[in-house]
Amino acid sequence: MSPETTAPRSLAEALRARDDASLSALLRSRPDLITPVPTDLTQLATRAGTRASVVRALERLDRFTLQTAEALAVAREPATYDELLGLLAGDDNDPTVTAAFPHALGTLREQALLWGGDDRLRLMRTARELLAPSPQHPSPTGLGPTVGEATAGMSPGRIQEIVAAAGLASTHDSVSAVASLSALFSDRSRMSALLDEAPAEAVEVLSRLVWGPPYGQVTAEPAAHLRWLIGRGLLLPTGPGTVVLPREVALHMRAGRAHRVTEPLAPPVEVSATRRPQAVDAAAAGQAYTTLATVEELLKDWHEGGPAVLRAGGLSVRDLKRTAVALDVSEPVAAFWVELAYAAGLLASDGETEERYAATPAYDAWLELPAAERWARLASAWLSATRTAGLVGGRDAKDRTLSALGPGLDRSAAPEVRHRVLALLAELPEGAAPATDSLLARLYWERPSRSARPAPDDLRARLAHWTLSESELLGVTGRGALSAQGRALLGLPATADTKEAEPSGPGDKLPAHKRHHPVTAPVPHSPAERAAAATRAAGLLAPLLPEPLDHVLLQADLTAVAPGPLERPLADTLGVLADVESKGGATVYRFTPGSVRRALDAGRSASDLHAFLAAHSRTPVPQPLAYLIDDMARRHGHLRIGAASAYVRCDDEAVLNEILADKRSQEFGLRRIAPTVLAAQSDPAGLLTGLRAMGFAPAAESAEGDVLISRAHAHRAPPRAAPEPVPDGPPVPDATLLGAAVRAIRAGDLASTAPRKEDPAAGRPVDGGLPRTSSAETLATMQAAVMTGEAVWIGYVNAEGAASQRVIAPIRVEGGFVTAYDHTADEVRTYPLHRVTGVAELADDQS
Amino acid sequence: MNGPLIVQSDKTLLLEVDHELADACRRVIAPFAELERAPEHIHTYRVTPLGLWNARAAGHDAEQVVDALVEFSRYPVPHALLVDIAETMDRYGRLTLSKHPAHGLVLTTTDRPVLEEVLRSKRVAPLVGNRIDPDTVLVHPSERGQIKQTLLKLGWPAEDLAGYVDGEAHAIELDENGWALRPYQRQAVENFWHGGSGVVVLPCGAGKTLVGAGAMAQAKATTLILVTNTVSARQWKHELVKRTSLTEEEIGEYSGTRKEIRPVTIATYQVLTTRRKGVYPHLELFDSRDWGLILYDEVHLLPAPVFKFTADLQARRRLGLTATLVREDGRESDVFSLIGPKRFDAPWKEIEAQGYIAPADCVEVRVNLTDSERIAYATAEAEEKYRFCATTATKRKVTEALVRRFAGQQILVIGQYIDQLDELGEHLNAPVIKGETSNAQREKLFDAFRQGEISVLVVSKVANFSIDLPEATVAIQVSGTFGSRQEEAQRLGRVLRPKADGHQAHFYSVVARDTIDQDFAAHRQRFLAEQGYAYRIMDADELLTDTE
Repeated sequence: MSPETTAPRSLAEALRARDDASLSALLRSRPDLITPVPTDLTQLATRAGTRASVVRALERLDRFTLQTAEALAVAREPATYDELLGLLAGDDNDPTVTAAFPHALGTLREQALLWGGDDRLRLMRTARELLAPSPQHPSPTGLGPTVGEATAGMSPGRIQEIVAAAGLASTHDSVSAVASLSALFSDRSRMSALLDEAPAEAVEVLSRLVWGPPYGQVTAEPAAHLRWLIGRGLLLPTGPGTVVLPREVALHMRAGRAHRVTEPLAPPVEVSATRRPQAVDAAAAGQAYTTLATVEELLKDWHEGGPAVLRAGGLSVRDLKRTAVALDVSEPVAAFWVELAYAAGLLASDGETEERYAATPAYDAWLELPAAERWARLASAWLSATRTAGLVGGRDAKDRTLSALGPGLDRSAAPEVRHRVLALLAELPEGAAPATDSLLARLYWERPSRSARPAPDDLRARLAHWTLSESELLGVTGRGALSAQGRALLGLPATADTKEAEPSGPGDKLPAHKRHHPVTAPVPHSPAERAAAATRAAGLLAPLLPEPLDHVLLQADLTAVAPGPLERPLADTLGVLADVESKGGATVYRFTPGSVRRALDAGRSASDLHAFLAAHSRTPVPQPLAYLIDDMARRHGHLRIGAASAYVRCDDEAVLNEILADKRSQEFGLRRIAPTVLAAQSDPAGLLTGLRAMGFAPAAESAEGDVLISRAHAHRAPPRAAPEPVPDGPPVPDATLLGAAVRAIRAGDLASTAPRKEDPAAGRPVDGGLPRTSSAETLATMQAAVMTGEAVWIGYVNAEGAASQRVIAPIRVEGGFVTAYDHTADEVRTYPLHRVTGVAELADDQS
Repeated sequence: MNGPLIVQSDKTLLLEVDHELADACRRVIAPFAELERAPEHIHTYRVTPLGLWNARAAGHDAEQVVDALVEFSRYPVPHALLVDIAETMDRYGRLTLSKHPAHGLVLTTTDRPVLEEVLRSKRVAPLVGNRIDPDTVLVHPSERGQIKQTLLKLGWPAEDLAGYVDGEAHAIELDENGWALRPYQRQAVENFWHGGSGVVVLPCGAGKTLVGAGAMAQAKATTLILVTNTVSARQWKHELVKRTSLTEEEIGEYSGTRKEIRPVTIATYQVLTTRRKGVYPHLELFDSRDWGLILYDEVHLLPAPVFKFTADLQARRRLGLTATLVREDGRESDVFSLIGPKRFDAPWKEIEAQGYIAPADCVEVRVNLTDSERIAYATAEAEEKYRFCATTATKRKVTEALVRRFAGQQILVIGQYIDQLDELGEHLNAPVIKGETSNAQREKLFDAFRQGEISVLVVSKVANFSIDLPEATVAIQVSGTFGSRQEEAQRLGRVLRPKADGHQAHFYSVVARDTIDQDFAAHRQRFLAEQGYAYRIMDADELLTDTE
């Protein structure tokens, strides 16, 4: 396609040939490549080829692009455009595949997973390793090794027999024999002729293996039809008792397709129901109102000391249950509200010694906002939060319960899935609710997990489910369809019709840096854009929310009905004066003796309450209610209760007058509560001494009112154990401990005395010290040791800072860790390289 | 969006009665929502599974219910609630009991997994026979009631289309001479007959007996009538003779004293539930004739064993009559599955507005205990406390004052404690009717009261039910069965019969202040307050000084 003079010979060269736009497209789609910014293109290419980065990139491919990559991994390397297309479209050239193919190829090329011209398509090496089939990791295509790979290591004689049986000209060169066999299997017409001769059972066996897994078991004495297959190389042995179907044969039987089902097109999201957009918006607004009411109720419930923070963080199961009951919702829903308030910064731990959850100052500020803005704050916090309430109640990898507000609830994929789900809803016509299954199928197509078909416990599927239910709870959607305010919140224009013209991507040098269809809507927007979207959503929502009322209806059955949301001061006062009986669009309050007493306790007087009710009731105050208030007020405060630590009682009131008049009595905090009784704040003993000092002769009284007779009594400590004797030196060790100690000492000795190769560059340490080498040398020596399989001597500092010497045989050096057989500890261990102070080779007689 | 209805998340519906659309709204929600409270401004309805199934049984579907809510609601209806309603309603009718021409009684389904689910239940297994085809299973005819009860408990109520036996025919006509069924009574009879079996809910004094008579005239078959007690049985007999073509000889009484079985037999719950040596000797009554109709008076009081007998009577038409579906024991679901769905109801206030029951002035008179009574009350054992405060001497004074005030009118004094009643009778110089009063004596006294020969009658709780005292215009309640809402409604019902001269009825409840008497009174009154009968509260001193 592109008029190239010299084909690139490596990924780095291919990158070098790209223009700036295409490079920035690469960096946009794989942002991990620029943290930190690479120094040059070679480093960029190297980093793009690291395993972690490639896995990340592959995981973000849509299904068809991934299938393209998988097909390329089983194709000849390098493959041509047509060869690869053939693997996807099959021999019958599926036109939809042909149409979608250039875009998939473009995506792979943009992400530097594929390079080379259309005549020499190469999958990046790491990607190929990840996707190519091996006995340990069967390919998703279900294809086995090629004839060439499967016959490697087979005796030339055996190959000759196969070639002869297959009816090919015999040649003594094994390589050309394999090539001709492979050519035979790849040739559709000759192959068909060969299979026509095959016994029916043999064809049956082949068709069982054709879609994978391609491996089968045979007995030592295979049946005749199996012998026929094995004899002609249609099944090749891979080990004792196992055979494999070579890739060429499978492809022939699959009519050239690498996948059983090629899915070139994104499955559409189906509509399950369509409702009037106004009804959707109204339903969503109703739910938005509930959201506000619930969050307020939650934090009000926690007003006077919320639940305690667990030591491991989070809310205890019991507190969550209690909250669920208080909010009259199920526990998962309660967890959602709690997490929502947390994500919006409205509640947090108070940070005291006895940590409790409490509303934040931001909550007070939030309360002052207009209702629609309050909702927008919550909804945008939800949209971008990585915390997922749906996980609450589940268990983490270590089988610990995940608690609400606790650690371990962050899922970085959550915001992206939420955005994607809502964006998909936004693509539907207004008022249309999606069929959940089709939505999940679409999400799965966009991000297939590489392992298997969609599993019910797949995180993205669960996130999508939660998104649907949570957006319904929040009122982002109404009756299943995206509301206008929800649409605005996403930062999408009001109408769904936003199809851009398909840009036609030029050739190799300018891969598809203009996206054909946004596979993942970039989690958008600067904070400013998000704020603007939220404001717009609030603007749309505001007219749909009910206006706060300033009145209630009082009824003779001692209830008050607020036929809509109440103005806050009214709601607050009524909330004290009456119990809430039913919530929703309206609120039903019930006056009970208890609730009226609560209002009286809160410092209201009966006349206050009468005035309050008269002012806010649209109907006359019913007589039984007025009676209830007067009745309670009459009895309220009739009995008085206070705390005193001692009392003084005297039948002669004059003596008590005298005590009160005396300045010295001030320290006792005396108060006259009856003509003959004083209550004191100081304890009885202090009072007794004090009054004696003042010249009185008080006597102490017992709880029963008898005079206490003071008498000395013996003082005792609580039960205590006698002290343990302190022996001289540690206890005598037992045999096990001794054995272990000796072994450890000997091993350490080996490590420190092992003769090492003299290496002046390695800066050989003084005897007994740790070896010191630079980190580059350490790495080089380790890698060399992996190759040669030799043991080395290292200095190592553990996490506590204790240095030790060890003799290890490195097995693998990867990601900053060395995995090695540790002779000192006699097991395989992994050491972080940065903790290795230095390394030295052992003298030959020790390795 | 400015409808009269507010749908709450706890499935209650608030209806603003002063709204212009309130009547239209009431009509559409009444079939599926139970009126729970009807105070002056906002009526509360509750949507329950039973209510929704009642609506399904009456031929309404989920779409109508959802539409009604959405149309009249002031605020958006929570989506979850709509979904829940649709799902609940959808559960009714998936299973049907019907008569198969070859196999007899069968349970069929339109949704095979549901049948699989219920058949796997241990409680259903013993009630069914062989599987005839994947959607049909045999049911033992004797288990027709049992299986309906069980399926309801499993949440899959079965629709009973198996029909009824006609029973032994017997000519019964209404004798509408000088009177006629009121429109709502006619409607109730019609709804019942159309539905086959079920419950008619009418307030006390609204003429439930006539609905029963109307149903009998429709059935024209032998009828078994189950009532609460002997007095009530006599009352029924009297009324039937007066209002229908039936004669004394055609009506039998089956009670503790008499055991007559005639084409129309009136039996008391008490005699049916008498047990001797572990068996119910009077059960044969149900089989003694080929009954075409069974009437249950005061369904909300139906004793548990009667439910058991009723389970075996599913092939006969059943009509339940009651003032409320609320049962203090919570067995509403048994009423639904064994007697039938609600076929008709009308709120008290509506019937009052139509002039069929008298308006009533309800007053709570609060009396203070004397100081010595307060000490006695404080030190009384818990179980004695109510008796102490309910029988305070001040109550007597108040009662006397009230009787003086309404001198010349027909006055009933109702109480719980015999000593108190005897004492009152003595002071008021009025006869006392209590448990030990013989039936003959009772009838004589009632008759005298009716004729106006006696103007004050002191009665114990024996008079709670079903005695027609047409001209009682004042009732004074001095004590009651603790907090029974049921009893309060019945007692108020005593004065609600329309008065010849149309003047107001008075209901006085005398309560001791600051005691559990007051708490019980509050509980008792709640039902009536919710029905729109607001109580005024008065101080005893006020009353005593007034009358002085």
